[in-house]
Amino acid sequence: MRQAEERAGESYGSVAAPAVDDEASADADGAPADADGVPAGGWPRHWPLLLLGAAVLPGTVLFVVGRWGDEPAVQAWRTVCLSITVQALPFLLLGTALSGAINAFVPARVFTRVLPRNPSLAVPVAGAAGAVLPGCECASVPVANSLIGRGVTPAAAFAFLLSAPAINPVVLATTAIAFPGSPEMVLARLLASLATASAMGWLWLWLGREKWLRPAVRHTGHRPGRSRWTEFRLGFQHDFLHAGGFVIVGAMAAATFNVAVPDSVLGVFSDSPWLSVLFLAALAVLLSVCSEADAFLAASLTGFSPLARLTFMVVGPMVDLKLIALQAGTFGRAFAIRFSAATAVVAVLCSVLIGGTLL
Amino acid sequence: MKRPLQAVLLVLSGVGLLHAALLTDLYLRYVNDWMRPLLIASGAVLLLLGAAEAWSLRRPGRSRETDERHHEDHHGDGHGGDGHDHSGVPGVAWLLLLPALSLLFHAPPSLGAYTASRQATKPVVQQDEFDPLPATSPVPLTLRDFTSRVQQDREQALKGRTVRMTGFVTPGERGEGWYLTRLLINCCAADAQSVKVRIHGAPPPPADTWVTVVGTWHAGGTLGTSSAPVALDARTVSKVDRPANAYTDALPLSPPR
Repeated sequence: MRQAEERAGESYGSVAAPAVDDEASADADGAPADADGVPAGGWPRHWPLLLLGAAVLPGTVLFVVGRWGDEPAVQAWRTVCLSITVQALPFLLLGTALSGAINAFVPARVFTRVLPRNPSLAVPVAGAAGAVLPGCECASVPVANSLIGRGVTPAAAFAFLLSAPAINPVVLATTAIAFPGSPEMVLARLLASLATASAMGWLWLWLGREKWLRPAVRHTGHRPGRSRWTEFRLGFQHDFLHAGGFVIVGAMAAATFNVAVPDSVLGVFSDSPWLSVLFLAALAVLLSVCSEADAFLAASLTGFSPLARLTFMVVGPMVDLKLIALQAGTFGRAFAIRFSAATAVVAVLCSVLIGGTLL
Repeated sequence: MKRPLQAVLLVLSGVGLLHAALLTDLYLRYVNDWMRPLLIASGAVLLLLGAAEAWSLRRPGRSRETDERHHEDHHGDGHGGDGHDHSGVPGVAWLLLLPALSLLFHAPPSLGAYTASRQATKPVVQQDEFDPLPATSPVPLTLRDFTSRVQQDREQALKGRTVRMTGFVTPGERGEGWYLTRLLINCCAADAQSVKVRIHGAPPPPADTWVTVVGTWHAGGTLGTSSAPVALDARTVSKVDRPANAYTDALPLSPPR
């Protein structure tokens, strides 16, 4: 994961510059400093192509090169890629419909009334509110974006963004089913996810900069003189097309890792407790399994300690390739890189602290 | 992206999903069967959304106005702040064309021997009590049931019994022997896990062929403990049709002919 982040930092470094300019050195939690002081290159708008290239290229290399390049590998890649996409589409639609509805129908004052005025208090409240959105991670990004558009403080919206896919009833129920007879695993997942979400919200209040957020995709809310239904439809459509493209980028990258990394690699790290925690955290990022299924996968990694498996389930819904692509598309790459790197670190710390006491 | 193209993209995605989930059962190659209502609903919503977009563009006047704003937006993209509205969609949305066309015209097959051969076997769930085996012979068993009975059933109910199991063929490492295999998924094919039973005493059929094998447990170690090999001495191996839902560990339904 480290390497991947650094690579990402390097390749996007010059590209990220125009949007964030020179104030970017105060990076949260040792995220690779990537964007300071580099003059604007001539290709700032091509970064999705770069991301796409990074995702597609390994697959293409698989196709062209060597013994692995024969048909079955490519077919498996296509199948995995398509299945991640197909599986994500309903949840993405749910999320974008909800975000369109929030934008068109819910007046901004509702949120200011419901959430505590003090942002530091609003963060845990919003985190706990994540429990009501029964979707996987694709649904929460557009919703969080529309919440910010309606005047919710970004810190609270991010706490919601992180906690919603991890602590909703569906996910907790599947966790209980996947780990029969160990309710402490469910409790640890709930607490560690909530702690990570709140910590990231507070971290944003402390270190976050508004200018990392791309202001381009703004939800304007209802404007007088336009039909609310038309606004809903256009917002829904825009968000879906936009986010859908990025989900596919993420699915391609995840499929590449899914097909290219054989399971036998898993055994290598299971002996060392600390390495295994980091390794499963990295695996969660790369595999991008839906948060409603990751508990079953975690349960199957029997060679690993409960702590490492908890880390897998806490990191997975908050940071993964398809989520990073989606966040980059929604909030901008300057945000996505910093936020994901910091979230990964915080999530590992929270899992180790809470898992260490509970498990 | 021009707005008529957005409508086309939405309609194609909707039709693709409906084609896969409503008209055919292609979706079973990619996701679990409980996703079907969700996929049909999503397909219908996308189709409606695309139709509504196309309809709104048919009305004169209004569409031109929004189109102009779209052009403006596109220049503003990435610099931010200049009245970006919902109509500006980045080019990355074109990627939605890939799954739609893939579902409609060139759907990739279910995962098979390639994936199974690269995966560790799904661990056996700890089970203490086993129901008595039915008296029929051969006994139809799922691969999972066979695996847990071989390694955990202290009663050794499998001893001397003839069993029948269905799965697909995965060649062994370095071309030695073969496995009867099933891939199981929880949510989508990305989380597939395999169950394998080693087959002895029969030449390997081509990879990915679906077969029903009748045979007895391949003796070794102590039956009912983890020292027992999950393996079968095959008596007959017969080809069967690929089941509609390949990602379950279902019992073999009809006896092979």
